[in-house]
Amino acid sequence: MRHALDTLYRMAGWLAAFCLVAILVLVALQVGARLLDWGLTSLGTGATGFAVPGLAEIGGFLLGASTFLALAETLAKNVHIRVDLLTTRLPERPRQILDGVVALIGAALAAFATYALAALAMKSLTYGDVSYGLVAVPLALPQGCLAAGLLVFTIALIDEAVLAFSGDDRISGGGESI
Amino acid sequence: MDIFTLSLLVVAALFGALALGLWVGLALTLTALVALLSRPSLPDAQILATSFWSASTSWDLTALPMFIWMGEILFRSRLSDDLFAGLAPLMRRLPGRLVHVNIVGCAIFAAISGSSAATTQTIGKISLPELKKRGYDDRIAIGSLAGSGTLGLLIPPSIILIVYGAAVEQSISRLFIAGVLPGILLALLFMGYVGLAATLNPTLMPENADVLAKESKLKAAMRIAPAVLLILGVIGSIYGGIASPTEAAVIGVVIALVIARAQGGLSFAEFEDGLMAATRVSAMITFILAGAALVTTAMGFTGLPRELAGWIASLGLSPYALLFALTIFFMILGCFLDGISMVVLTTSVIMPLVDQAGFDLVWFGIYLVIVVEMAQITPPVGFNLFVIQGLTGQDIFRIARATAPFFGLLALMVVLLALLPDLALFLPRTMFSKG
Amino acid sequence: QTAWDMPTPYPEGNFHEKNIAQFVDEVNEAAGDAVEITVHNNQSLIKHPDIKNSVRDGIVPIGELLVSRLSNEDPIFGVDSVPFLATSYEEAKKLYDAQKPAMEEALGKEGLKLLFSVPWPPQGLYTKEGVAKMGDLQGKTFRAYNKSTEELAKAAGMTPTQIEASDIPTAFSTGRVEAMMTSPSTGVDSKAWDFLSNYYTMNAWLPRNMVIVNESAFEALPQEAQDAIMKAAGEAETRGWQASEEETKRTTDLLKENGIKVEEPSDDLKSGFQKIGETLTEAWKTEAGEAGAKIIEAYQGS
Ligand code: NA
Ligand code: NA
Repeated sequence: MRHALDTLYRMAGWLAAFCLVAILVLVALQVGARLLDWGLTSLGTGATGFAVPGLAEIGGFLLGASTFLALAETLAKNVHIRVDLLTTRLPERPRQILDGVVALIGAALAAFATYALAALAMKSLTYGDVSYGLVAVPLALPQGCLAAGLLVFTIALIDEAVLAFSGDDRISGGGESI
Repeated sequence: MDIFTLSLLVVAALFGALALGLWVGLALTLTALVALLSRPSLPDAQILATSFWSASTSWDLTALPMFIWMGEILFRSRLSDDLFAGLAPLMRRLPGRLVHVNIVGCAIFAAISGSSAATTQTIGKISLPELKKRGYDDRIAIGSLAGSGTLGLLIPPSIILIVYGAAVEQSISRLFIAGVLPGILLALLFMGYVGLAATLNPTLMPENADVLAKESKLKAAMRIAPAVLLILGVIGSIYGGIASPTEAAVIGVVIALVIARAQGGLSFAEFEDGLMAATRVSAMITFILAGAALVTTAMGFTGLPRELAGWIASLGLSPYALLFALTIFFMILGCFLDGISMVVLTTSVIMPLVDQAGFDLVWFGIYLVIVVEMAQITPPVGFNLFVIQGLTGQDIFRIARATAPFFGLLALMVVLLALLPDLALFLPRTMFSKG
Repeated sequence: QTAWDMPTPYPEGNFHEKNIAQFVDEVNEAAGDAVEITVHNNQSLIKHPDIKNSVRDGIVPIGELLVSRLSNEDPIFGVDSVPFLATSYEEAKKLYDAQKPAMEEALGKEGLKLLFSVPWPPQGLYTKEGVAKMGDLQGKTFRAYNKSTEELAKAAGMTPTQIEASDIPTAFSTGRVEAMMTSPSTGVDSKAWDFLSNYYTMNAWLPRNMVIVNESAFEALPQEAQDAIMKAAGEAETRGWQASEEETKRTTDLLKENGIKVEEPSDDLKSGFQKIGETLTEAWKTEAGEAGAKIIEAYQGS
């Protein structure tokens, strides 16, 4: 179980990282083509005129997908920030219970958000909504990624609550400390 | 529900959720849902979905993960160590020594990046570990970073000035130019304060840590070369017309990869490490932004900011009194909203007042940015504080305390700007004299 | 009484927004006991790309957007942006009349109702250097933001470059883009004289905004309120078309006053773009199929 969950978070995290790499590659192609055209025009030959179609919209969608797909992995690696003024001052057992309750509240919110984004994606699918730019991207695709990321995040938050109640202290440290 | 009860409820929800230790993005989500209780007929789920969706899929925002990634690569390369080792002998006699790297680094990075979160994260990822390693006091390192990270908004390019310029139909080029002098002055104020603090309280600085490098100045300067190359490459790509400010962030990543490779470091494992770390930090910040966008939408539906602004309008204040009232108003809003939200939610009510009082709208834009900068470092909702908590693991309230002197300097800058409007207006007037 | 929130994309001072403010005043005045509309302009509540779906999905009952934003969903929404098809207010009105039934049908399928639609001033050519003939445009970078502007650029021998609206001043100043087509109104709003020097009154096309309402929210209102809204909408449309013509004159003069060289295009430019327009109209007809052919037929027959 533990292994399966960690694998799930990691896979979603890799997908998220892949989205960032995709942004990098697309923008690099665009800027590279612009540089090439500069060179070609100054040599007096015709420019290629290449541009990544719909880059701004697609880049935005990739960022959204990356953000939400990475939520669970970010939680598991304790990178989401929180204020721990109160929790760190409590004795161990009450703190674990409070952490568990807070993780459950978080899970409820994330579950609600999962439902909301899934409904949004379903509606976009039903109506065949597409984006406005040079490439008509079906909106259900990126919106589905957001919903999927939130679903994994919900699972991770429940996982977090179980860990806290069972006395495992994973969440009480502070960020990536320096 | 009357506006007073609603305000109390919203504030209680936010402080309650944060105090219990709910993660910030989720705490903002909860706060927004509480605010929406005042309009029970609205479809909460759909509002949430649309807000999350439109806030997280913004093209302007894509520069953020790229700059974070660039910082992670540099952090894993020799560049940051070399940079500090190279600067140390050069700054030996300057009171405050390497703390100034935070300020100057942020001011330079601000000329590449339009956001304060990216500025704070990228510079902080490189500088904080180096300053700590060298024994500088945490508080001055963190405070100066949080304060000067806000320069990302004032020194062009600036996302918030674009939003403001579009809202009030002012020239974005003029607004950009108007931000330059106040930005530089602010950086100088910060440096002056750091120098003064270091002189008055020598324990803030390590005793002799910076003199270990017994190199010639030339050799030291050579160590700085890769960093200079990186900065010139990115700035040059924007101002030379090769890349938009958003695209330039990718150029930063590419140059950072090349430098790290050329210096012989960066194995594939390190590359993957840096990428995954960037993915997580960017998800953390963007998710908070999504929560903040939901709060903004909920606030728009409740009409709270609009009503507060309308109340100020009804007071019939004199120009200076109005300015004072607006500063207080934005500072209160700034505790709960991010800067761009404050601008879009209130301009339609406030701008007629500002216009009527005879303020120049370009000048007011610069004033507004400085006030928003202050909002970036006030808890509980202050994005620079969030970013630094992510970097250091320290609590936002402790970080805010370390940052308080820099908040004061920003307030001083507001006063200076009010007394000397030409600080903002001189450059645009001179450079666009035809119009 | 029902509270209606109305998101709009443009800032308060824009002439579309002034027109909408008056529309809302009239509705609130006439039907204030049944419905009270609050305008949230400048994308402060909902961002432009999400306004249509937000009205459809019941987040807000009413909103404004650029008609051609929907042209990827259904090409018939893009006919007002086919270059050089309708190049005067008179022609634009005819084109609107021809397009309206198809628009209403497509909107109706999503439970939306068209209230009124008002054109922007005609699109002209902005450049950093003087352009005397088609050949002068050869190889210049041209701002493209959708399919038809991309096709236009290519047909004129220019390099289409994607520039976001907020990036325009920087892109011109740093040389990433050298020409664009937009209205004199947008030129004034963005203070175009700070970053470019020439404007040619091409009258290339007159894109329109529209105000739409969620049908079930509308029908939930008492009949008198519905009537009041329809009446105010009719008046807003008439008023808006007039305001747009006045806006054209006012903003073109403002461009001149601020030092932009405002000129009529040369005959070579005119005929060159006219030819491109014909090709692009054919391309649009192919894309829009039967519905498109019907619109063009109705337009040319009127
Ligand atoms: Na900046
Ligand atoms: Na704040």
